Amino acid sequence: MCLALFSGALDKLTAAGVILSGAAADDMDIDVYVLLQAARAFKKEIALNKDEIKLAENSHLREEFIDSLKKLNVKEWQDFFKEVKEITNAKFHICGLAGKIWGGETLDDFIDITDDIVGISEYITAAEEADIHLFI
Amino acid sequence: MTKEELQALTVGKSVDARGTACPGPLLEAKKAIATINSGDIMEILSADEGTKKDIPKWANKKGHEFLGIVEEPGYYKIYMKKK
Repeated sequence: MCLALFSGALDKLTAAGVILSGAAADDMDIDVYVLLQAARAFKKEIALNKDEIKLAENSHLREEFIDSLKKLNVKEWQDFFKEVKEITNAKFHICGLAGKIWGGETLDDFIDITDDIVGISEYITAAEEADIHLFI
Repeated sequence: MTKEELQALTVGKSVDARGTACPGPLLEAKKAIATINSGDIMEILSADEGTKKDIPKWANKKGHEFLGIVEEPGYYKIYMKKK
């Protein structure tokens, strides 16, 4: 599976976590390309500050959304991604341009699930080769 | 299998995933199946409605044998045999 993860919004990151979990349960190899807004969410200082991550839709329901996730014992998006990496061969690639836009120059600027910083050719090749290709 | 037959099975592994919503039960099942032997029976306890369809589909796709579901008050017991 190849996922172009553009969004840095909490609801979409959570949806990505659920979908990637299903792929991991199926033992799929996964490549996630972390693009513009998602690259910001992957920056350490953003990811660790939960107030920085908004909802893509119905932003006025953010607290209700978070409360429901807690009640349902749903993992936070970063924990979904960590678990996916534990279960299957999953790589998270930061788009080099996206990283620079948000001031992320090196791998150390991003959360520890990040594997590398790549260019667009890596993404296009993975998208061509994947059986399933998604954009979130 | 009938409800009585399912309840009479010797379960090698029981996974209590009642505290989690989708995809929790699926991932719990995925992790647990790796810990049992071929031919062993595993039961997954889930209070998540979607799991009733999710686990059988996953089990069949991975070559395991889905045996059936027993409905209990407030949750389900889903039975499968490891390939």
